[in-house]
Amino acid sequence: MIQQAHIMLNSKPAACRDGETVLQVAQREGVFIPTLCHDPRLKPAGACRTCLVEVEGQRRLLPACATPAAAGMVVKTDNDRVKRHVKGLLALYLADHPKDRASETGAPDQLLDLAERFGAPTDWPAMPNVRAARPGDANPYVHFQPEKCIACARCTRYCAEVESVHAITLANRGSLTTIFTADGRGLMDTTCELCGGCIDTCPTGAMTEKKPFLTKAKPERQLEKVRTTCNYCGVGCQMDLNVDHSANEGRGKVVKVTSPPPGTTTNDGNLCVKGRFAYDFLEHRDRLTMPLVRGDDGKFHETTWEAALQAAARGLLKIKTEHGSDALGFISSSRCTMEENYLVQKLSRSIFKTNNVHQCAAT
Amino acid sequence: MAAKKVMADKHAQASVPDKLQQAGGLKPGAARAVHEASGIAEADVYGVGSFFHLLAEPGVKVRVCTGLSCLLKGSAELLKQAEAAGLPVRACSCLAACDRAPAVLRDRSVLPDVTTEDLARAKGDWTKLASAAGKGPDWRGAIGPAKDDPERLAMNLAGAPDFSCAAFAKAKNLGAEKVIAEIEASGLQGRGGAGFPAAFKWKSVRGQKEATRYVVLNADEGEPGTFKDREVLLRRPDKVVEGLAIAALTIGAHEVYCYLRGEFDGPWRALEGAVAEAGKKNLFPGISFHLHAGQGAYICGEETALLEALEGKRGMPRLRPPYPTEFGLWGKPTLIHNVETISCVPAIVAKGGGWFKALGKSEPGTKLYCVSGHVKQPGVYELPLGSTLDDLAAAAGGYAGTLKAFSPGGASSGFLPASERTRPLAYKALAEVGSMLGSAGVVVLNDTVNVAWAAREQLVFFENESCGQCAPCRIGTRFQRVSVDHHFDRAKAGASGDDLKLVAEVAWEMNEGSICGLGQAASLPLTSALKYFPKDFEAKGARP
Ligand SMILES: Cc1cc2nc3c(=O)[nH]c(=O)nc-3n(C[C@H](O)[C@H](O)[C@H](O)COP(=O)(O)O)c2cc1C
Ligand code: SF4
Ligand code: FES
Ligand code: FES
Repeated sequence: MIQQAHIMLNSKPAACRDGETVLQVAQREGVFIPTLCHDPRLKPAGACRTCLVEVEGQRRLLPACATPAAAGMVVKTDNDRVKRHVKGLLALYLADHPKDRASETGAPDQLLDLAERFGAPTDWPAMPNVRAARPGDANPYVHFQPEKCIACARCTRYCAEVESVHAITLANRGSLTTIFTADGRGLMDTTCELCGGCIDTCPTGAMTEKKPFLTKAKPERQLEKVRTTCNYCGVGCQMDLNVDHSANEGRGKVVKVTSPPPGTTTNDGNLCVKGRFAYDFLEHRDRLTMPLVRGDDGKFHETTWEAALQAAARGLLKIKTEHGSDALGFISSSRCTMEENYLVQKLSRSIFKTNNVHQCAAT
Repeated sequence: MAAKKVMADKHAQASVPDKLQQAGGLKPGAARAVHEASGIAEADVYGVGSFFHLLAEPGVKVRVCTGLSCLLKGSAELLKQAEAAGLPVRACSCLAACDRAPAVLRDRSVLPDVTTEDLARAKGDWTKLASAAGKGPDWRGAIGPAKDDPERLAMNLAGAPDFSCAAFAKAKNLGAEKVIAEIEASGLQGRGGAGFPAAFKWKSVRGQKEATRYVVLNADEGEPGTFKDREVLLRRPDKVVEGLAIAALTIGAHEVYCYLRGEFDGPWRALEGAVAEAGKKNLFPGISFHLHAGQGAYICGEETALLEALEGKRGMPRLRPPYPTEFGLWGKPTLIHNVETISCVPAIVAKGGGWFKALGKSEPGTKLYCVSGHVKQPGVYELPLGSTLDDLAAAAGGYAGTLKAFSPGGASSGFLPASERTRPLAYKALAEVGSMLGSAGVVVLNDTVNVAWAAREQLVFFENESCGQCAPCRIGTRFQRVSVDHHFDRAKAGASGDDLKLVAEVAWEMNEGSICGLGQAASLPLTSALKYFPKDFEAKGARP
């Protein structure tokens, strides 16, 4: 039976489904509720307090991200009380955060965006950062800027809830709360798999990619995102190459790789260490960019795909004729998709008539 | 099988704080060792250890209380002296010994009435530190009335411990419905701070579908100025245990978890003794008691933070709803009560709800008032609920000096001026003036005290004790304290400024935006001081 349950959202009826939060209903209805600690991949924490809304009959404002939408609920997201709260809250955040856009060296700082959008006061006296960093972390990929951290715990929750890795934790208490590892060790000396999901989920850019940070690459906002498919394995994660077109004397450069927003592609915003960080091969001088065929001079020569495939076919057929089918063996790569693997065994069994076929990940 | 694994994980997690304590605190490598022993992720172990100051600073062996009542008795000087003597010392928040100020924590033992002579005698060796006035580990505070009077005192601190368990037997005969009816008739309100009707929680837990339920004792007493639970545990652990047993029987729980602050060594022994006595005589068959030590964090007195801490996690309050009555310890329906609340239960069951109700003045029952600061005999006084500050001061031997201001219910209640001395110290009457009875930790300030300074010290407390998960509290508590410091720095330099102009707006936001009562109330000392004692903010570099 289909139930037509509704809540009243800013005086308009909005359909709600079983198990939905107020935030989910609002997002579907196109009603903007600011969030910072929310990530659809994680259990709601309700900690950043940006999404507080007024619910009739409740004395206190409630976090939209963690409040189930119950039929008949009357919700206000934009009355004076909620607006005053958002402004005051964001102004407080700013007092404990670099306010200058120049600090936005990596990913866009959503706190600054929200403060702008809601017209939060930016003149509340600033307080110096008291959150600790982990000095001497030699890992090559992840860099933490404690002054930009808002302790929303998205990174630590991601590390635990999505990756089950538990390499980082909220540490200390009160204003000293920071992101830490056991005994403050470098990430390489923890369970960290360097997936970089902490960077992806961080709303302010406090967790950031180390290489572009150290090389002072352009901030993400100034880069073009080019969607592509990771070719490291058969999963087919979608990823965005972040391209600086002006770099390399105008030839362009991939500054970093980011994952598309959660919920938009099959990898749900996740990437592994290879997809996110191992993109140096793109510009490596050893990288093959054209098919090569060894010539009579014993050296490789660039050629077309057509010619290369024909050369390969000729060689395979020659072995088959001279030594028989079982002189051949086919091993496919773990980078291949299921369909590609299927085709390799088809090629092996029905064209070359041999059962000598394997896939390198099958061990 | 699956269920078993969850159980194992749950107990492994719950054991983390204890294991860290056994490891001597969060020394390098301790998180790894506890991870290996428990299977809990190393980083998570570290996160827990770093949250609790008794674990996070393994090298610190001496802590001098810099709560307001102790500061009034010179604890700032003690701290300086201890530092100068090379002791491994730090400042700490209220140790629930404000009646015996200044208090000092040596390892996990609270030393009362510590003097500069005591410090000098230790000769820089923290293990030798002792209080000459404290007379050993089982020191107690002053109480009143000092005479056994079970007919007019629900708590009757002066009475001898009584393990006859007559109330428990009566509760068994009455049955759950009638017990709850008596609690309801008594009008008993939670004594931990919120004043919530107890019967409502009992009914709610009893009405849950889930059959596994728990009773939890909140003995984390940390609200500055509050030390009544300490005296109840020391003097009437019989009432605590019997009250808990009646609660368990009534709501259908078999396990009772008692969370005592880690600094409560004496009260721990007293409660442990009472539990052992009950066990030996099998007084409460089918009900088992578990004692759990806190590790230094005021916020773990907040009931949902307490549940997190009992589960062995960082003590960060949970979102509500759902309330603990529905989703409590390990997600099961849980009845949480303060030590004093639960200790009222045996007398209510024995003598009837009507009897208890009639004991009160403006609201039901008698109440333990803690009074410290500028009165002649600081201590715990059991008076009818709704007694005034003047009544309380009279019980405590009178004011010391001329009354200027008082804090009626712990730091969270802010300050009131002397003109409120005849207002009932009760839940409703104090809420009317934007304050609260809270934990009834009354701190009296005479006219030698600058209230702006006192407010600043309370702000320091909240800043240090905020759990840090929500921004309004984490940033707001610091922002308010910094504003006051800037104001005084400027005043000292003879300049004027508008450092305090944002205080009201930040206070509003902290109240609206914070997850729990700490952040919601944390500005009250400052806003009330500004309201009632604006002149004190004009003083140059004000100190008491
Ligand atoms: C910041 C904060 C600290 C608290 N500390 C204590 C405490 O130390 N002891 C206590 O019994 N209740 C404390 N409470 C109140 C508890 O959350 C809860 O209301 C109480 O344990 C319920 O028991 P009761 O109904 O018997 O009072 C605190 C609340 C807050 C918000
Ligand atoms: S109000 Fe303070 S203590 Fe309470 S949850 Fe928020 S940060 Fe923690
Ligand atoms: S997004 Fe809801 S509290 Fe942070
Ligand atoms: S024990 Fe020092 S103020 Fe309470």
